[in-house]
Amino acid sequence: MITSTSPPAADPGSALRPRRYGIAFAVAALVVLALIASSILNYVYLDTIPGRASLYGLLAVASITLGTYILVRAFNRDRATRRNQLIRAAVLIGLGVLLWLLVIDVFLYTQSAGPVVAAVCALACLPTTAFGLLVVRRMDRNHKEPWRLVLVAAAWGAIVATTLVVWAETVWEVSAQRALVPGPGLDTSLAFMAGTLEELAKGLAVVLLFLVMRSEFDDVVDGIVYGAAVGMGFNFMESVSYMTNLYSIFAPEHQGGIAAGVQWYNRQVLGLFFGHATYTAYIGAGVGIARQLPSLRQKLLAIVAGFIVAIAGHFSWDAWVNLFPIPNTLFGIVAVHLRTLVMTGPFTAGLVVLLVFGIRYEGQNLVDQMRKEAATGAGAILPEEVPLLASPWRRLRQRMQAFQRVGLRGYFEVSRLQTAQLDLAMERWHRERKEIDTPLEAEQRLRERVIQLRHWVPAS
Amino acid sequence: MSPSTHDQLHTLYRTLLVFATIGAIVLSIGLVQFVYFERPGEETGVKARIVGVYEYDPTTRMTIGPDRSEFPRADVFAAVVDWSSVPSQLVVDARWYDTFGSMRGEVGPGHPTDLSAASIVPVDVPPNLHFVLPGRYTFVVERLDADGVPVEVLARRFVLVDRS
Repeated sequence: MITSTSPPAADPGSALRPRRYGIAFAVAALVVLALIASSILNYVYLDTIPGRASLYGLLAVASITLGTYILVRAFNRDRATRRNQLIRAAVLIGLGVLLWLLVIDVFLYTQSAGPVVAAVCALACLPTTAFGLLVVRRMDRNHKEPWRLVLVAAAWGAIVATTLVVWAETVWEVSAQRALVPGPGLDTSLAFMAGTLEELAKGLAVVLLFLVMRSEFDDVVDGIVYGAAVGMGFNFMESVSYMTNLYSIFAPEHQGGIAAGVQWYNRQVLGLFFGHATYTAYIGAGVGIARQLPSLRQKLLAIVAGFIVAIAGHFSWDAWVNLFPIPNTLFGIVAVHLRTLVMTGPFTAGLVVLLVFGIRYEGQNLVDQMRKEAATGAGAILPEEVPLLASPWRRLRQRMQAFQRVGLRGYFEVSRLQTAQLDLAMERWHRERKEIDTPLEAEQRLRERVIQLRHWVPAS
Repeated sequence: MSPSTHDQLHTLYRTLLVFATIGAIVLSIGLVQFVYFERPGEETGVKARIVGVYEYDPTTRMTIGPDRSEFPRADVFAAVVDWSSVPSQLVVDARWYDTFGSMRGEVGPGHPTDLSAASIVPVDVPPNLHFVLPGRYTFVVERLDADGVPVEVLARRFVLVDRS
């Protein structure tokens, strides 16, 4: 228990840690059960070969999940055990990825378009998705999220969330097609299906990150970053799936490349930030705001609100995209961009508002904490460093100056020092707000790390 | 916690709640749209009879061979409807929908007696293409209301078109 720590935690009465780990375990158990049920039902009731692939896929998902868990926890271990943990995680994730590629690409995608097309489609989507993740991570100007967690979020979106929705969407779609009148009513039902099921599957990743890695989940900005990363992972897999499918459909008409190319542009260029990334970022925003709210009622309301906006954004696109038909003329090129701007633009604009508010809120509070730390005279943050640390551009300039003097080594050492100083300010902020359950000792360790790094960094 | 910090967090919280309210309105509009096209209480219990789905020869406009549920992509196919199975006072039509939900062939709307000469309903090859698109096709015989909106499916049949 936290109450037994010495020195005591900032909030000695906090019982957050045991409770949230319990919730995380329950959510993870539900996800695993859903995956098992989905795979068995796929095998029994759907097509046998993809069904068998789905069963093998279960092993891949389990390997990746376990490997990811070990990877994430490895960074909280001491140096001696970290290496072994990292090797274990790498082996498990590698095995999972190989199995996954075997299952999905060979059995499913290649079934329709062949392994070469599947590989080309995946390769075409990699640079755009990587660019998207880079931009999303850089949105947090003050306190960037670790790449390992951003990539874990994207991997969940690509692998776990897409697998989770397969069965549920199949059941909903088949039932709706058997029961409803084809046309707008059926389209609306399918839009509700995609909005609800896909956002729930993606949102689970954000909620799990919030529950398990709260030390790396600081506020609304972090939530938006993680949510957008999950959305981009999902968008990656969906893009590959649609591209291969449409290639195989239109290849006999000698239009396979064009069909796949149009899908790539729509999903990986136009829809890179506007589609799934925007929707799931709202879930992240809700969870991020909940992270700092004082009462349980407000926390739950914020999380539910994030989900509602995400589902509504996704639903509105799927339900009403046909209201904007694309003419088969040159104007069609303009129309396709206008359609995205008109339909998803307002949701993205709203998210940008939350992001800008969040960055300003985070920035002001970090400056406040840096000033307080400087006033202690402990030496981790000096009074003259506060304005420099408060500005991303001045931080970059300091790193570039170090680069010019000492080269890459200097650049990275200054970068590490700045990151450690911002970590310390963030820790102080959470402690002051009583929303942290690590002992005060952790803060002192951060302070010592900053002072240690300061000795290594060449005088600026 | 300073008052300004508290206010900023609550501004974020309230902004999100405003967005969620807009989201709830969007979803409600969707629900209204769904109910408009899937009206409760429209069930008449009438069933139409689809005789079968057959390979179709566009030149002779005749069906060929036995009733099937799966076709290669190079084949054109058509459904045959027994319009005499539908009460004559109803306004009905018959439609094909492809795997993407796009309409690919239609007969009607009209009274069943007016449609008796159009019992064969072929699927259309999309413009600028040589073959029908592969995937799951849905054929429906629908009842329309006074505004011409389809409100009830009187018969339904699914057909699979192979990729090869």
